[in-house]
Amino acid sequence: MPNASRPSSTAAASSPPASSAGIAHLCDLLEHVAQKDRQAFADLYDATSAKLYGAVLRILRDRGSADDVLQEAYVKIWQQAAVFDAGRASPITWMVTIARHLAIDELRRQPKGYREPEESLAQTPDEGPSAQDELHQEQDARRLYHCLDTLEDGRQEMVRLAYLEGWSRADLATHFDQPVNTVKTWLHRALKQLKGCLAS
Amino acid sequence: MTQHDDLDMLAAEYALGTLDADTRADVARRRQQEPELEALIQAWEARLAPLGDEAVAVAPGPELKERIEQRIRTIEAEAQRPQAEQAPTQKPEQAATSASDQSQVATLRRRLVRWQWSTGLATAAALVLAVILAGPLNKAPSDPSFVAVFQEDDRQPAFMLSVDLSNKQLNVLPVSAEPLANKSYQLWIKEDSLGPNPRSVGVLNDDLSLDADALSDYDSALLKRATFGISIEPSGGSPTGQPTGPAIHGYLYPTGQAGAQRL
Repeated sequence: MPNASRPSSTAAASSPPASSAGIAHLCDLLEHVAQKDRQAFADLYDATSAKLYGAVLRILRDRGSADDVLQEAYVKIWQQAAVFDAGRASPITWMVTIARHLAIDELRRQPKGYREPEESLAQTPDEGPSAQDELHQEQDARRLYHCLDTLEDGRQEMVRLAYLEGWSRADLATHFDQPVNTVKTWLHRALKQLKGCLAS
Repeated sequence: MTQHDDLDMLAAEYALGTLDADTRADVARRRQQEPELEALIQAWEARLAPLGDEAVAVAPGPELKERIEQRIRTIEAEAQRPQAEQAPTQKPEQAATSASDQSQVATLRRRLVRWQWSTGLATAAALVLAVILAGPLNKAPSDPSFVAVFQEDDRQPAFMLSVDLSNKQLNVLPVSAEPLANKSYQLWIKEDSLGPNPRSVGVLNDDLSLDADALSDYDSALLKRATFGISIEPSGGSPTGQPTGPAIHGYLYPTGQAGAQRL
């Protein structure tokens, strides 16, 4: 079947490099993907795959399973682009969320191995501005980090190990040498505190 | 309030990723059915999203893009095939059981939804449902039909249900399901405006067919939103008016969406 051609009314001809992909551009691409526009899908992949792959690889730490999960994620994005709601989430958050959850599901399926926190975890991100660094996202990030800093010692690390590396309650319990229920209590307290701080 | 807090923490831990596999699967299923939970999860995803920027971007291997595009070509080709192959005289039943529909079922296995009726019945672990996108069944693309597949396991569809929303005619087609001795299959509809409980559409006949007009009292908009289920009941149908046996369920999906939306 021939590729669906993209409506010429959109500025499709000039596909910008990934680094300049803004929210509006990604929304536009997703809209076309929802209409089964494969060129838009290819552009969307080029603009976002490194971001998604980075998130997935961080959780799975294995290129083989990360490849499979990334494929699964983009198939899902292809199939569900029509339900993406720009009013409720940023396009990159929506896409990363799909990939992250698939990666965590995959991680839970894999046999348990000993996991150490990745060395880079302790660092604050210092790479250059990412593709999605638009102003309000920076503000969101600043607020989140401010609120993370208000948590008790160790709790911020738990949240980041869970979010970035896919650690379960049980993984955290092992690492922090605490009963699982204690970890659950700590997590709930930390999450409630975060929510309150972000809402203030 | 406490209940809401519990739900919020479930949503938070789901978004954070700390739940075990079973609980995650449970939440993934529940969020489809519970708008409140879905909203709470989305709120947490948004709160935590900036953390994702800490993961360093890594370019995937160049061959992966081609692999994914190939996968999508396959999916789309399969989605289109029923239309292309359909002879003018072919009946919906024949189209529905074509090999390509079977392969769609396999392709879209990710859509599987495990579900229980809200009446608190035993978990029907073996009974699950897939919903597939299929080509219009003897219909022009502007005249959408909808197909739901009632599926017993990850491989074999048990039933397919198609509803033509233009005239609200339904067709239940058993695929792998067989008539059961001293048991009946019963079709149910559930939608918020109908109240919290499923409503019976009808008890399937011995040949597993159902009156095509059984949904004619419902309006099309409601049918699009509704969940359908088939449960296994004592012979003649549920004695209580509610599903008493294991149920399989799913939504209707627009068929031929790709074709209809293609510009």
